[in-house]
Amino acid sequence: MRRTTPILLALLLLLTGCTPKQVVDNPRIAVITMMQGGEFWGALKNGARSARSATSAVLEFFGPINESDYEGQIACVQSAIDQGFDAIILSPSHYTRLKDVVTKAQAKGIKVVLADTALMGQAADFLITADYREIGAAMATYAFTLFGEDEAINALIIGSLPNTTTMTNLVESLSAALKTRPKSRIVSSTFSLTDEAIAYDITSTALDGDPTINVVFALEEYTAGGVAPAIEDHPGVRFIALGNTRYEIQLLEESTIDALVVVNAFNLGYRSVLAAVDLLEGKKPAQQPVDWALVTKESMFSEEHQRLLFQSIQ
Amino acid sequence: MRGRAGRPYSIKTILSVVIASVSILFTVLVSTILYTQFSATIRSNATLSTREIVRQINANLNYYTSDILSIATYARDLAKQTDTLSRSQIEERLNTIVASRPDIVCLLLFDVDGTLLLSTMDVPMRPTDEIISQQWFERALGKEGNFYFTGPHVQQLSKSSYPWVITYSQQITYRSETGELDRALLLIDMNFWAVSELIQTARLGKSGYVYFIDNDGKIVYHPYQQLINSNLFNEDLESVQEHIFGTFHTTFEGRERLVIVDTVNNARWRIVGVAYIDELMAGLQKYTLIMMVVILILIAITIVVSRSLAAYISRPIRELERLMNSVEKGDFSSPPTVAGSQEVAALSETFAVMVRRIRALMDDIVTSQEAKRKFELDALQAKINPHFLYNTLDSVVWMAEQGDNEGVIRMVTSLAKLFRISISKGRDIITIAEELEHVRNYLIIQQMRYQNKFEFTIETEEGTENLATIKLIVQPIVENAIYHGIKYLQEMGTIAIRVYRRKPGAVVIEVRDNGVGMSEETLTKLLDFGSEHPKRMGFGVRNVHQRIQLYWGSDYGLEISSERDVGTLVRLIIPEQPSTAPLKGVTV
Repeated sequence: MRRTTPILLALLLLLTGCTPKQVVDNPRIAVITMMQGGEFWGALKNGARSARSATSAVLEFFGPINESDYEGQIACVQSAIDQGFDAIILSPSHYTRLKDVVTKAQAKGIKVVLADTALMGQAADFLITADYREIGAAMATYAFTLFGEDEAINALIIGSLPNTTTMTNLVESLSAALKTRPKSRIVSSTFSLTDEAIAYDITSTALDGDPTINVVFALEEYTAGGVAPAIEDHPGVRFIALGNTRYEIQLLEESTIDALVVVNAFNLGYRSVLAAVDLLEGKKPAQQPVDWALVTKESMFSEEHQRLLFQSIQ
Repeated sequence: MRGRAGRPYSIKTILSVVIASVSILFTVLVSTILYTQFSATIRSNATLSTREIVRQINANLNYYTSDILSIATYARDLAKQTDTLSRSQIEERLNTIVASRPDIVCLLLFDVDGTLLLSTMDVPMRPTDEIISQQWFERALGKEGNFYFTGPHVQQLSKSSYPWVITYSQQITYRSETGELDRALLLIDMNFWAVSELIQTARLGKSGYVYFIDNDGKIVYHPYQQLINSNLFNEDLESVQEHIFGTFHTTFEGRERLVIVDTVNNARWRIVGVAYIDELMAGLQKYTLIMMVVILILIAITIVVSRSLAAYISRPIRELERLMNSVEKGDFSSPPTVAGSQEVAALSETFAVMVRRIRALMDDIVTSQEAKRKFELDALQAKINPHFLYNTLDSVVWMAEQGDNEGVIRMVTSLAKLFRISISKGRDIITIAEELEHVRNYLIIQQMRYQNKFEFTIETEEGTENLATIKLIVQPIVENAIYHGIKYLQEMGTIAIRVYRRKPGAVVIEVRDNGVGMSEETLTKLLDFGSEHPKRMGFGVRNVHQRIQLYWGSDYGLEISSERDVGTLVRLIIPEQPSTAPLKGVTV
């Protein structure tokens, strides 16, 4: 029996070694967008929901009513920290004001993935965004095609939130690209704070004040919604916007909007969740910018653009 | 079989190893066969059930498209009844169908120029050039009778809505209000969600799915279309194109897939079902784990049982071995009887018989050895008598001739006493007193024969008279002293016999003479009791020595010392033994 005991002990060890490893709990992830509504954020949330079934993550969505309410967003992040989420997917609506609360979350071991917009001078655990500088340049390049070489371009640029990296990059790159053309001028570059009424007022005032303005860039869907009625009485004004709301698509079909830039927000949401899960599992998420497309009336029903443009209408 | 130290393994070890090995081998073999069978069955069942799910989806889709075809047939018939029904009546009937079918978005009829003839929609249409350039229009035009189903696309009929639809289109014959028959295009738009729900409700394993491809192998519908658009998901269209139809296994992006391809009736599509083998075989993984645990438990039990069984079988053999060892050491006391299996019991019985036989043989040897010794003693004693008797009787005859009656009486009396003691009623052991009496009579006879050529004395230590001795051991020594010592003396010879104890537990009968003695060479030869002696000299001495040693062992016997012209001293050493009863009529 003395020799049998070690054999039995070895078998027991083998048995315990064979038992299945404990399944890791489904990670809880808070998705905090800039605001609760909006086609863009809706598509982002849809993408996140699709990733849920692929990763078995548990998602909860938070966001203030208004995009400009960064205090409300700080409160959302604080609430996510208090509720002990494993990871936070955040699109910060202010590139400095959110820094403290993000640092606080990271100090508590919460993985923070920034989606679409970043924080100034602070590295989060991961950032997923489209190349907005490239988008800005592409918008300018397209604008050039709308005018003859000898025609002057007098642009009005309206962003949404002044203190986000997305808008900063877009405005800077767009402005820089416009300046590369000899007869291009930026009449005004301003922000609507994601408010249709403000966008309308800015546009109306600007067009009334400077009738030479012949192109308006609306860098966000609500802003575009405010610009559209303001340019109704100015038929010569070209209009290039970001977004893919039903209204914007109709404006594109009506040729009120000349081109729509559609960022694949679904992809943004999907990959943010994958990245958060990867980080929680100690893996390094893949670095790849989110795809986007510049859609015109001619290309809007092409198979490729159809799926991007009408994704939220499906 | 031998261990590390070169020693053979014990029967217990061999048995337990053999039993355990055979049992474990058997367990593993049976488990492997079961696992293989079970695995094949699960795989086969999974394939069958997956194929059945795909078949079911296809059947549902066929049912659905057949339904659409029926509606199309109805619409086609209505299109020819413009002579009996007004446009609004026809549209009303079509509207009834659309209203009762939430999956149908609209039902329209266009002429070949894209002008709307009949419609269930109240919204303004796109310009005709935009209508006729659309895929559904182009494909159906000019192919009367053929119908087409498009893949999911955004409806482009009006500018106010953008629903995702699947379009049915067919060129039909339309009777115009003037009564002329003309070509027209029938369109039925179905809500994409209705079709996708039909497909998405069925799950193949945990994350398997069904998708559709057209004749060109292009995806018509895929549940992960958005992920594919975003390059987040890839589909293995190549292998599907290679196989066209049927069931096959393929590995794509590191995962083994079961792919089922079937043709969709009515539409020129193929349905492709994808299931992941690891998910289908998830039950097998659980079974494997349980089986592994059971096998390990069985192996543990096998080891314990085999050791116990080996111990049970080998215990009687080890017991038998122990008994054999004790017999080997000379212990024949208890015959080995070991309880155990039939073979061990038989072996034990055989061994017991053998031990009993050995013991009987040993007893026989002891008995025969004793008999042989007795025979030899008797033979030695017998050698004395004839020689001496002849000489004595010769002396008696001589004395009778001389008229010495007194001498004759004395000699014959002594001779009678001598023989009486010699016979001793057949006993070998007599008292020292009897032995000395025997010698005394002998000496008397010899004194008379040699006419007082010598004299003798006999002394005994107090208490030694009744000690035991074998008989007739002193007389040959005395005879030797007379014949080889005294006989050659010119002067008076003396023979002194003395009996005394020597520590520890020995008695010495000493015979000292003053005869001519012996040379050193003669003495050495005489002392070498094993060698042959010339002229019978020393025959009696050796005889006595052998008898004493035969009877009492090598610790006893004769000690002889002699010196030329001085004399000889012989000591008979015997053990001090309890006295025996003296012969009747013998006095010391």
